[in-house]
Amino acid sequence: MEIDWSVIFSFLPELAAGAKTTLYITVVGLIGGMFLGVVAGLMRAYGGRFLNAVAFVYIEVIRGTPIVVQVMFLYFALPVLADIRIDPLSAAILAIIVNAGAYIAEIVRGALLSISKGLTEAGLAMGLPYWKVLLYITGPLAFRRLIPPLGNQFIVSLKDTSLFIVIGVGELARTGQEIMASNFRAVEIWTAVAVIYLLMTGTLTLLLRIIEKRMRIL
Amino acid sequence: MSIITFNKTSKHFGALKVLDQVDLSIDAGEVVVLIGPSGSGKSTLLRCINGLEQITDGDLVVDGISVNSGAKQLREIRQEAGMVFQQFNLFPQLTALENVAFGPKKVRGADRQEADRVAMELLKKVGLEDKAKHFPSELSGGQQQRVAIARALAIKPKVMLFDEATSALDPELKQEVLNVMRQLAEEGMTMIVVTHEIGFAKQVGTRLIFMEHGKIAVDGDPRELIDNPPNDRLKDFLQHV
Ligand SMILES: Nc1ncnc2c1ncn2[C@@H]1O[C@H](COP(=O)(O)OP(=O)(O)OP(=O)(O)O)[C@@H](O)[C@H]1O
Ligand SMILES: [Mg+2]
Repeated sequence: MEIDWSVIFSFLPELAAGAKTTLYITVVGLIGGMFLGVVAGLMRAYGGRFLNAVAFVYIEVIRGTPIVVQVMFLYFALPVLADIRIDPLSAAILAIIVNAGAYIAEIVRGALLSISKGLTEAGLAMGLPYWKVLLYITGPLAFRRLIPPLGNQFIVSLKDTSLFIVIGVGELARTGQEIMASNFRAVEIWTAVAVIYLLMTGTLTLLLRIIEKRMRIL
Repeated sequence: MSIITFNKTSKHFGALKVLDQVDLSIDAGEVVVLIGPSGSGKSTLLRCINGLEQITDGDLVVDGISVNSGAKQLREIRQEAGMVFQQFNLFPQLTALENVAFGPKKVRGADRQEADRVAMELLKKVGLEDKAKHFPSELSGGQQQRVAIARALAIKPKVMLFDEATSALDPELKQEVLNVMRQLAEEGMTMIVVTHEIGFAKQVGTRLIFMEHGKIAVDGDPRELIDNPPNDRLKDFLQHV
């Protein structure tokens, strides 16, 4: 078979739809993952023994198992166990939330603990309650240190969505596979898929560079 | 009138007894200089006053409020007792002016204009009005510490606690900070100063306390005690600082 790059154009609408689904899963999943990660990270950094233990177990279970197994569990095992049926897209989003949440929790904890204890004491010594010290001093400082590792995690999560091929979500990798199955244009289609992923991760990287430049890391 | 009263106050870290049944009463207007060997409990004594360390036995009353009477009361105490740290601990993301204005805004609830006005006045007082827009990383150690003093003063405390405020500074920078502290003392501020600067103790202090093993070993007039140490351990200590 001759390589014919023009076939890509005839499948662009499908590929674009796949990319859209990938972005949708990533964005919604990461918004949820950020929320979960910040909560779990705070629990790890400042929680009492119980909250700390809960967060610790969650993080270790997630970091210790592959994301493919996690999404399979959500999609196939959860219905059996708890009689909860979810569609593939929701399972995919949930998997990103739970998975990214665990990694983000560790990032948040690390950033918070990297802020010198003296700054917290200086805030407390002025008569501020602990939560205000966190809100006005430690939090904003930690946030700056969060951005580089967080950006990294965003890129990892975006690429991880391709693994949801196993539950048949119509994201970009799955779309590529389906087109392939109908026309066997492996070189053209997988090149196109790779380029679209690169465009997405590249844009993300660029955005992060700009944010990092604007914010002085202290 | 006593503004700080230790009443058989003890502080343990686990099994380690760091303050051992301390009885001490400090009046408004006193400039108490606290000296003693490393590990004798000077920092701990200071940090118990504003509740950065929790006392484990006895009582400690600051401006009429016991440090054990609850979180809200403890915050009130902290607003009356400003602290200056050895490592300055300025907020690195804020300029000098913002550091000083932070307390009035966030603790005292002043509006921005008023907070900035107070902050500028205090920066003038410590001789740094021209550095208002500088970040801590753009200031020398001595300048940072003077900003830190202004920051503590900005919440209008009744007492100032200094924990080795000049120990992290080069000799030529120590003096500018000590001068600010001297000026404060002359204005009648109640101060408790942990320091190795015996000259400062003699010239500015109204009272000298020598601590050993979590106890107050000697307590008296700085000039007399420094010129005629009443015991060998104080004499020894003074010869080695
Ligand atoms: N958070 C803590 N946990 C356990 N032990 C502590 C803690 N803080 C202080 N200590 C111990 O308490 C004792 C007194 O410490 P403190 O810092 O009050 O001494 P200091 O007189 O200020 O000494 P230095 O001149 O070295 O600053 C030391 O033995 C120290 O190791
Ligand atoms: Mg000390």
